[in-house]
Amino acid sequence: MTLQKALSSSIGSKFLIALTGLFLFLFLVGHLAGNLLFMLGADAFNNYAHALISNPLILVAEGGLIAIFLLHIFKTVTMFVANRRARPDRYAAKKWAKTKNDRSRKTLSSTTMILTGTITLLFLVTHLATFKYGPYYETTEGIRDLYRLQFAVFSNPGYVAFYLVAMGVIGFHLWHGISSAAQSFGVDSPRWTPRLIWTGRVFTVAVSLGFALLPIYTFVMGRN
Amino acid sequence: MVVKLKVWRQAGPGQPGKLVDYVADKVHPDMSFLEMLDVVNEGLIRKGDDPIAFDSDCREGICGSCGVVIDGIPHGPDKGATTCQVHMRRFKNGDTITIEPFRARAFPVLKDLVVNRSAFDRIIAAGGYVSMNVGGAPDANSLPIAKAMADQAMDSAQCIGCGACVAACKNAAAHLFTSAKISHLGVLPQGEPERDRRVVRMVEQMDREGFGSCSNEGECEAVCPKKISISNIARMNRDFLRAIV
Ligand code: FES
Repeated sequence: MTLQKALSSSIGSKFLIALTGLFLFLFLVGHLAGNLLFMLGADAFNNYAHALISNPLILVAEGGLIAIFLLHIFKTVTMFVANRRARPDRYAAKKWAKTKNDRSRKTLSSTTMILTGTITLLFLVTHLATFKYGPYYETTEGIRDLYRLQFAVFSNPGYVAFYLVAMGVIGFHLWHGISSAAQSFGVDSPRWTPRLIWTGRVFTVAVSLGFALLPIYTFVMGRN
Repeated sequence: MVVKLKVWRQAGPGQPGKLVDYVADKVHPDMSFLEMLDVVNEGLIRKGDDPIAFDSDCREGICGSCGVVIDGIPHGPDKGATTCQVHMRRFKNGDTITIEPFRARAFPVLKDLVVNRSAFDRIIAAGGYVSMNVGGAPDANSLPIAKAMADQAMDSAQCIGCGACVAACKNAAAHLFTSAKISHLGVLPQGEPERDRRVVRMVEQMDREGFGSCSNEGECEAVCPKKISISNIARMNRDFLRAIV
C-alpha cells in the first residue's frame, strides 16, 4: 500500500485530521501564552508582537499554519460528505445508545464538530480582519501598537460578546477533539484513557477560559 | 398486554419502503421480542397478508443473524443483548414500538427488516484468517500464551458479526467489527506473522464496501450485544499506522 493511498484510507484520514488538529491546538496554546503578555502592559505586549512580526521566519510559520488548516478542513469536509453517503436512508427514529454505565463518548460536542469547525473558520476570518489586517496604530517607538488596537476593539461590548461566543464554540470543538485525536492515533489503555479524556477536557476549558478572559479584561480596563 | 408497532415494510432491494402500523394484542410479557413478531406474522398470514420479514437463527444471542433497530436503538433497550434476547416485559402495555432495519449503504435492505451483511464476509475474506500448514493437532500448551493476551483475544473474539455497530454509528462505520476481527488474531502468536498484511487488507476492504469513518464516539460499543470495546479500534489504528510506515 502506498503512503498516499494509506493516508486517504478511513484510518489514514483520521490520523491526518488528528495530527493537524493537534498542531492547531498547540498553536492555540502558544497564541494564548503570547496574548497573556497583554496583562503585563503596553511595552511587553507590543515588543513581543513586534519581535514576532518582524521575524522573517514568520512567513514560513504562517504558511505552515495555513497548510495545516487547509488540510484539516479538506480532510474533515471530504470525510463528512463520505460519512453522510454511507447512510443514504435515514432512520425514522434514532436515539443515542449512550447510558451512564457505558463508555460512549457521544456528546453534543462530538455530534456538532463540522458545525463548530465551520463557525471557527468564520470567526478566524473576522479575527484576522479585525487585528492582523485591522487599523494600524503606531507607538512613539515606531512599532505597531496592537495594545491600543485591542483596547479600541474591545471597548465595543458587541465585539466582547462575539469573542466570548467564539471561544465557547472553539472549546466545544476541542471538548471532543482532543480525546478523539488520541484515539485516532491509537493511544489507548484501560487505565489511562479515562484520564486522558479528562485531561483533554481540562485543557479545553483552560484554553477557552484563558482566551475569553482577555476581551473581558480589556473591556473592564478600558472602562476605568 | 397490547403493543402498537410501527414496522418498516419494503418489498425488495432498492424499492421504496415505509413504516406500517400494526397492533399486537395477546402479547405475553414473557414472550421474546421475536416471538411477538412471530405471533403478528401468524395473524398476517391468516389474513392472507405478507408476513414481516426478519432474520433470526439461534434465538439465544450467539449467531448474530437477528438484529433490528427497536425504538431507535440497535437490538433494543437491553445492554449486552441481541434482539432475540429482548423480552416483552421490557415494554409497557399500550407502548408504541418502532422497528426498523439496520441502515447503511453497505447493508442494503433485502426485504422489510432483513439486510444483506455480506460486506462483513468480504472483510473477513480479505484477511481475517491465519495461514498455517495443517497436520496433526499440536500438543496442548506447546505455544505458551500469557493469560492476559488470551483474555484479550477472547474478548475480541466474542464478536458475532451482527452489524449493530454499523447500525448505531452516525457514520455507518464498521470499525468496531473490523477491529475486533483483527484483534482476536493479532494479539496471539499465531496471528502475529500476518499482522501487518491483515490490518491493511481488511481496512482496505472495509473502505471499499462503503462504510463510513470512525468519529470516536463509541456508540458502537454501547449497543454491542457482546460489549466489544472501542479499545479494539485504537489497536487497529495503531496496527494500521505501524503497518504503513
Ligand atoms: S437469532 Fe442468533 S443472535 Fe439472535
